[in-house]
Amino acid sequence: MSDPTAPSALGPVLALAGKDLRLLVRNRSALFFSLGWPVLIALFFGLIFGGGGERGKIQVGGVDEDGSPASAALLRRLSATEGVQVTPLGRAEAEARVRAGKLTAAVMVPKGYAEAETKLFYGAPRKLELAVDPARSAEAAMLEGILTGAAMQSMQDLFSGGGASRKLVDTALADLVKTPEGKERASTERFLGELGTFLDTQPKATPAAAGTNALGGAGGADGWKPLEIEKRALRADRAGPASAFDVTFPQGMIWGVIGCSLGFALSLVQERTRGTLTRLRAAPLSGHHVLAGKALACFTAIAVVEALLFAVGRVGFGVRPSSWWLAGAAALSVATCFVGIMMLVAVLGKTEQSASGLGWAIMMPLTMLGGGMVPLFAMPSWMQAVGTVSPVKWSILALEGAIWRGFTPAQLAVPCAVLLAVGAVGFLLGAWRYRAQAG
Amino acid sequence: MLTLTDLRKAYGATVAVDGLSLRVEPGEILGLLGPNGAGKSTTVHLALGLLAPDAGSVAVDGLGPPTDPAVRRHLGLAPQSLALYAELTGEENLRFFGKVYGLGGAALRGRVDWALDFAGLTERRADRVGTYSGGMQRRLNLAAALLHQPKLVLLDEPTAGVDPQSRNAIIERILELKRGGLTVVYTTHYMEEAERLCDRVAIVDHGKVLALDTVLNLKRTHGAVPVLVATVGGEVRRIPTPDPVGALTRLVAEATVEDFHVERADLEQVFLKLTGRRLRDE
Repeated sequence: MSDPTAPSALGPVLALAGKDLRLLVRNRSALFFSLGWPVLIALFFGLIFGGGGERGKIQVGGVDEDGSPASAALLRRLSATEGVQVTPLGRAEAEARVRAGKLTAAVMVPKGYAEAETKLFYGAPRKLELAVDPARSAEAAMLEGILTGAAMQSMQDLFSGGGASRKLVDTALADLVKTPEGKERASTERFLGELGTFLDTQPKATPAAAGTNALGGAGGADGWKPLEIEKRALRADRAGPASAFDVTFPQGMIWGVIGCSLGFALSLVQERTRGTLTRLRAAPLSGHHVLAGKALACFTAIAVVEALLFAVGRVGFGVRPSSWWLAGAAALSVATCFVGIMMLVAVLGKTEQSASGLGWAIMMPLTMLGGGMVPLFAMPSWMQAVGTVSPVKWSILALEGAIWRGFTPAQLAVPCAVLLAVGAVGFLLGAWRYRAQAG
Repeated sequence: MLTLTDLRKAYGATVAVDGLSLRVEPGEILGLLGPNGAGKSTTVHLALGLLAPDAGSVAVDGLGPPTDPAVRRHLGLAPQSLALYAELTGEENLRFFGKVYGLGGAALRGRVDWALDFAGLTERRADRVGTYSGGMQRRLNLAAALLHQPKLVLLDEPTAGVDPQSRNAIIERILELKRGGLTVVYTTHYMEEAERLCDRVAIVDHGKVLALDTVLNLKRTHGAVPVLVATVGGEVRRIPTPDPVGALTRLVAEATVEDFHVERADLEQVFLKLTGRRLRDE
């Protein structure tokens, strides 16, 4: 019998999902165990296992190959910048740490930096090398700005001490005489001459004013660059997590995901035991609508938990996926898997108590074997082999693969495929049992 | 309006409904009266297509089987258990159930306002259902069944567990629905409710309809003979008679009747006669 006034298939599903999410928000304890508890788990174990140092700062390796007072001053200024932590290193070590994801970038001050500073208005500009982790492009751009600022500050210092700046102009004029005559030489000589006159007549000028003027005049010269930053991306070559948080945040995520999954399984049982399912079944809905609504709500809640954990990990603890696309794929695969598990648990228990008990009885060993408590890499090999049966292991592997294991899309496809298959099988089995129980 | 034909439903060795047949006429309130476990709720679930019968058939006249979602849009159910979300407000519950029935926009708002008014909960619309009294929750449970303006509504023990005042309020509202022409199937084990509300009553026990008729006819057919109780000359006389008026007329002609009343059979007696058991095992 067709009914032109029939609601769309999606409308009731959205209504059901919205209702379930509203119920989740109203249930403070469920909300805490879904959102707050995972963060606490991640922090607690992250701090116990060593944390990540000063994660609020951009971690930079400082390589001083010039060994001059000017290069040392530049790195000191960079280090003094708020939000930047500079660790003095050799070039090879700094690059290795960037590749391993332990540093955001390495700043190399090459030989000749100080000499270039004395030839500020002619010759090759001062050069810096910036080797960055390509996954941290935003921080690299910020660092580039900071470096430019630090270099400009050194110019300001140069012009603030009247004697030094006068000497710089004199040296520059003397050097210019040795170069071939031409239009550029003439204009530079004219500029330096006027700058020298300016410095002579303004002995009491404030340092800032002197620096600003000098830079302002120089800045107008065609093609003149006070600093050249050569930026290059280093291929990620991570052999391990950048910090303990890279390991504990996926674990925390899994706890949140399990909390959501079991919470929604319980809510489906409650619909049955409290009679609301009877009313829903009496409505013009199919069983598919009810299950799809529950699945959508569960999927959404899990995705929110994962997004929150990623956000907290990223902002507060330096947890940075090597690719956000891969991280998204891993997170959605995990969500799909645990929606299927939710369906299975919901039909296994006839009462709320039995569903809750059964759910945790199943999930606890799977979590322990799957690396939800002890990190996978720290588990004995036999346990890692046994843990293969646990969807928790595949979930953590997928998340870690996107965060610090440096998985390629092809490598990540394996755990994601397993998770999607588990989710599909769980959902189909659950739906089949649900229909059988509905009579 | 609704025809149940030779329905049968068993759970293992337990037969819940055993060859039950009845027909609900448009605009009437049909009561299913029987003790707990008589098969009333199972019959309701079969009538709505929530359970598949082992045998027999269900048809909603002119529409089709109740398993068809399009047919269900014309049916309403107030389940015996309070089928509400305690963590949501009364209004949120109604809005949700309205959406499930495909209502939306102004139509949904209008029906939610009507339902809250019908349940006497307009002032409490923003309060969570968990904070309502039992009577309020029962009224909301009933209102949720009427939200989508069904043609036939099945009320499964709608007054279970409420105080007499709330029960009276619920019955008044159901009578109001009857005056509006709604067809109602009403299950209860309270004979007073059945007598007060129902046009016809089916006496149900062990999954079978033992008798189905108007309350008056059930009493006439299955109840004991009425008894004329008259006080004559200070003496109380009890006269069993199928015609109390005729007996009283004859008595008045013979003597001065100081007082009288007629004792008629009630549904409790009807049930006792039909089953050999009381309706409620107190």
